This record gives sequence, C-alpha cells and structure tokens, in this order.
Amino acid sequence: MTFNSLQAYQEIWDALSDSEFQEALRRASTTSQVKVEGLLAERRDLLELCREVVEAKKRSVDLLGELVERAYRSLEAVKAKPYYAEEAEEARRIIGSIVGSGKLVVMAKSMAAMEVGLRGYLESLGNEVWETDLGELLVQLEGSRPMHTITPAAHMTRLKAVKLISEKLGVKLKSDSVEEAVKTVREFLRGKIVKADVGVSGANALAADTGAIVLVENESNIRLVTSTPPIHIALVPIDKIVPTLLDAVKVAMVQAAYAGLYPPTYINIIAGPSSTADIERVRVYGAQGPRELHVVLLDNGRMKASKDTLLKEQLRCIRCGRCQYECPVWVHTANKWGGPAYGGPMGLVWTAITVDPIEAGKLAYLCLGCGRCDTSCPVEIPLSTILRHLKSIASRSSQAQVTQTP
Amino acid sequence: MRRYGFPFPVPREAVYSWAKPLKLPERGPVILYTGALYQLTPYIASVVEQLSTIEGSRVSGIALKLSGILSSLGVSRLVVRPKSDMVSVVERILKSIVGLLERSRVKVAYPYEDDMYSGVLLYDLGLDELFKGHAVKVYKALKSRGAELIVTVDPHTTHIMRSVYPRYVDGYDLKVKSYLEILAEGGAEFKQGSIGGRVVIHDPCLYARFENVVEHPRKLLSTAGFEVLEPRRSRKMTYCCGGPIEGLTPRMAKMIAKTRFEELREKSKTIVTLCPICYTNLKAVAEDDVDVVDIALLLSGVKP
Repeated sequence: MTFNSLQAYQEIWDALSDSEFQEALRRASTTSQVKVEGLLAERRDLLELCREVVEAKKRSVDLLGELVERAYRSLEAVKAKPYYAEEAEEARRIIGSIVGSGKLVVMAKSMAAMEVGLRGYLESLGNEVWETDLGELLVQLEGSRPMHTITPAAHMTRLKAVKLISEKLGVKLKSDSVEEAVKTVREFLRGKIVKADVGVSGANALAADTGAIVLVENESNIRLVTSTPPIHIALVPIDKIVPTLLDAVKVAMVQAAYAGLYPPTYINIIAGPSSTADIERVRVYGAQGPRELHVVLLDNGRMKASKDTLLKEQLRCIRCGRCQYECPVWVHTANKWGGPAYGGPMGLVWTAITVDPIEAGKLAYLCLGCGRCDTSCPVEIPLSTILRHLKSIASRSSQAQVTQTP
Repeated sequence: MRRYGFPFPVPREAVYSWAKPLKLPERGPVILYTGALYQLTPYIASVVEQLSTIEGSRVSGIALKLSGILSSLGVSRLVVRPKSDMVSVVERILKSIVGLLERSRVKVAYPYEDDMYSGVLLYDLGLDELFKGHAVKVYKALKSRGAELIVTVDPHTTHIMRSVYPRYVDGYDLKVKSYLEILAEGGAEFKQGSIGGRVVIHDPCLYARFENVVEHPRKLLSTAGFEVLEPRRSRKMTYCCGGPIEGLTPRMAKMIAKTRFEELREKSKTIVTLCPICYTNLKAVAEDDVDVVDIALLLSGVKP
C-alpha cells in the first residue's frame, strides 16, 4: 500500500472547515475522556491489570519469533489452519484463495483487514462483502474509512448516520431515532449473516500456549460472524500474540476498559473450529459453528520493528484508541491524520511500521509533543518520543534530498 | 538558524537588553539562563501572523512550510518585526523573575551575550545533528561563565536543559532548576493579602508531564494569597495550548487554543500561564473580559 502525506494534509485541511465533522469529534472525545477517567478513578484494579498486560506484552515482543512458532503449533493442535503472511499483499492473496469468488462474506470490524485492504480486494474478486459492526458499516456505506480504532464512525453525527442507513440500505426510516436505525441494521445484517459463506474477523489477542483467539465486543456481531458461516477466517497481526490464554483475556479486558466499555458485554474465546463427539465419541468438525477456521498471521513490518529499539515499544499497542481521543490534534482530524488505516499518535507509528516511516514522519510534524498520549496509554508506549524520532527520519531524508538536488 | 542562532532573524541584543539596567554579575556558579524563549515570543507571534496568510493557499502552503522545515531553513527569509506591546510584557516578566529570586535571597549571575537560544525548535523538529552542534556550543558558553546550577524560566528550556542536553552533550554536568522550583523549595515569602483573588491555572505540558513541576506553582500562588482553581483537564492530564504547531498550521493551533481557553474561562476570568508559548497562544484567542497573566507578574504583584 502506498501513502502520500501531502494528500493527507489536504484532507486534514478540508476537515478543519467541516463543522459537522468537528462537532461530532468534539462530542465523541469529550464523552469518552470523561467516561474513562471516571471508570479508572472507580476501578483501581484496572491499573494493576494494565501493569500485568505491559509485562506480558514486553515478554511477547522480546520472544516474538518464538511465540509465532509456538502459536503456529498450537493452532494446528486445535485443528485451525495457520498461515504466515509476510506482507499485506500475501495476506490478501491467502484470504482471497480461501474465499474464492461469488461468495457472500461478512466481516467483524478489523483494523488489520483495513491495513491490508481486504474488503476492497474481496469485492474485486467478485464477492459480496458486508461489514457487521454498526460503525464500520456506516463507514462502508459512506465510502470512507474508519475515523477511530474502536468507534469507526466517531466523525458522524446522528443525523448523518440515520441518513446514510436510510439512503444506502434502501430502507425508509420513519424517524431519525438511533433506535430505529439500529433495529433496521440488525434486520438487514441478520439476513446477510445467516446466508454468508465466510466470516472474517481480526483478533484482540492470540494465545501462543493454546492457539485460542480472543475477541472483545459489545454488539454481538463478532459472535455471529465467527460462529454462523461455515468458514471463519481470522486475520491476526503477530504483535497480538501473547504467551498464555490468561494474558490474552487480560489484553481484551484492558482494551475494553480504555475504550470506555467496561465490563465488555462479550469476550469470545475461539480455539479451533466447532465440533462434536456426541455420537460414539467420533469427533466431527462443523457442529453448529464453522467447520473450518483459518488463521492468517500478519507480519507486514512487525518482525523487523521488533528488532528496533524504539519501534518495538509500539508492538505493545492493544488498539484501545485512548491516545486518539486524548490527543488535541486528533480531535480535529480523526484518522485523517495517521495513514491509510490507522490514525492519531499510535496510527502514525503503525503507518511507519506497516507502510512508510518517511511519509509517517512528515505527518508527525503535526504532533505537539504535548505527551497526553504517553500519559494516557495503558501499556506505557512512549508515543511522543517515537513521533519525534519519526520527524527526525523525515528530516534526514529531506536533507539528503536537498543535498542531492543539483 | 546557523547565521542567527535563532529560527529566524532576531538581533542578538533583543535577548539580553532587558537585563542591562539590572547590572547583574556576568559570571558565577548560579546562572539565570532564559534560553531566549520569552524574548523570542514577540517575534514568533509576528511570524505566525505572516504564516497565517500562507495557510490560506492550503496544500501549496503546507508544501512550502514542510520544505522549509525539512531543509532547516525555518522561516529565516521572512522579515520579522516583533510585536512591540509584547516586548514590554516580556521585559516586565523577566525583571519580575529576577526580583522574585532576589526577594528569596537567591543570587544569580546573568550571561548576557551568552544567554543563547537553547535549540528547542531544532530538537522538536527532529533535526538532531544541528541540535547537537548547537547544544554543545550553548553548554560550553555556560561553562565558561562558571555555571554549576542554571536557573531556567520556562518549561521548554527547563526540559531541554535538564532531560535532553545530557543525552546529546558529552560530560554534561549542569544542574537545572526552574525558578518556580527554586522559589517554592526555598520557601518564598510573599506579603499576605497584598495580592490575591481567584485564578485558574493552566499547566504547561512539559512542566506537568515531563518535569514534574506541578505543585510548585500552586504552592507559590496560594502562599501569595491566590485561590487556585483547576480546569477540567489539569496537572498530569493538562491540555496543550496548541503552540507547538502554530508555525505549521496557525489555524489548527488556534482551534486547540480556543478549546483550552473556553475550558479555563469556565473557572475564572484570570488565567495564569507558566510558559511564554502558552501565554501568547491563549492571549491570542482570549476575549477582552479575560486576563491571561504570566505567573511571575502575579507573584510580583505587578498589575497585569
């Protein structure tokens, strides 16, 4: 995937003049800040959980190569089929060959899918693809991209959302109430999910000891997408691998808390395809859930980053989006500031790792260096320090260009 | 930058002329080092005004500015006249700081021509090579004046001298303290009741999150008789004034400043700042019925 920072600056500039965009972000970020602040003040045990996750994640990054191998073996042991994709293109190709064409595919919100450009690719193969997370569906209907890691439609007001659903799904809504919109989407998506051939998800964490994938959510769309169609494909960036299942559940709990959704309504643990041995103890795969589970481990620059003294810190990221809602710049730009998939402080670093450090560095000049992201991050990533480092990468490259120009 | 020692053309005397009438000793173990940030703000304000006009042309403006930043030319080709009303405010602030230190019986020397810019901008932009060269020069100059402890007056210079220089300058051995820390730790005394009122405090990011200068200003203000009010986002979770990106995008910087200003104004019509960048940015969006005041002036009892 290519990415041009100048074009991103153009989009950011336009967004500054979009009063609806600005108002929606202001509301969303204020609500989120107050909510998480209140939650953390009340539940001090969550801070202890954060410390445990930091330790587990640090160990994971140090042992990344080994953990990938262990996860691979554990996945095979539970009859899941593992793959290793070194680059985005390879991930698309692997998933494309599992899905084929002419299929109905339902997706549970996954930033990794966004990173590799999966939805567009599957559509280009002649498949019908639907996002099932409400925010992500709104973004799909709008023809844009997620503006926040957890709440993709953070930039939309209620009126905009209702209008999109009504226009694009061809359903006449009687009112502009959110309740009616949600009910309409529920009916529409259920129709798709029940008939779907393939369900695609990401993962909050993957346990190397058991091959279990952990997914946290509130909408229950992940449950449906990962259990209704006969085939489930999980695209899992390798930084999501942690040593144990307990670590993986802790990651999901911290992510939910820092996203302001605690307790999470659902935590899903998926270790292999569904099966039954109820008749004469003969194990048969494909009981009520999928009969096939494919797990695509996505590298895309992460293994290399794990060997960089500064970038390796980013691999602890649990994608809670806290640094986005707390950043004074992000609340005016949303994910238009960051890169093709990820946005805000953590997004710039993910762009540097998965796309291009120089282009990410050029965008990093918008970083205030104020350090609110550092202080808010549950896994103690020194984001402002890394962003300054990215600026210096961009500065060096530009100086080199200036010297080379006759 | 290489020619002037500043990010844009500023006459050298503009940094130390305020101290001429004070006739401070020019060398000694305790040196007041301003790093020129306060003195540069009237120039920065003028540059930002010029940049705002470029920003109107959208992407071409950004391309121009990025290339400017990246080639480390900064805005050195602009003609810069300082905002004159701000020059006199800055002089009063710096003189007040010396006065406060004297009242607390802290004797400082002042290095006049060697009170150089610290290079904060070079560091913030990631221009590491240039920054390192500059830092070594500043360090040598301060050492040549006999410095053991340097007393800083703003959060950016405090942070860079205390937490960044040691990583770039071999053998760096200067102790660094903000004058607020020196006053608070030395038990500064103020005439009770002579000054006072309800004020809202705006923590600068670097003091609060990087240098742990959080309680000192509060202690000083309450000792001086002020009731200190806290905005929704304060202390470690304070909110930026937008200043650091005013050179790249004055428009977004103003939006950030406005958000912060509104939040502060909810609590009091007197906003205390501890940093010249915060002062300039909040002042630029402040409405007439609100005072934005530097803490040094408040503590000195100087009418804002």
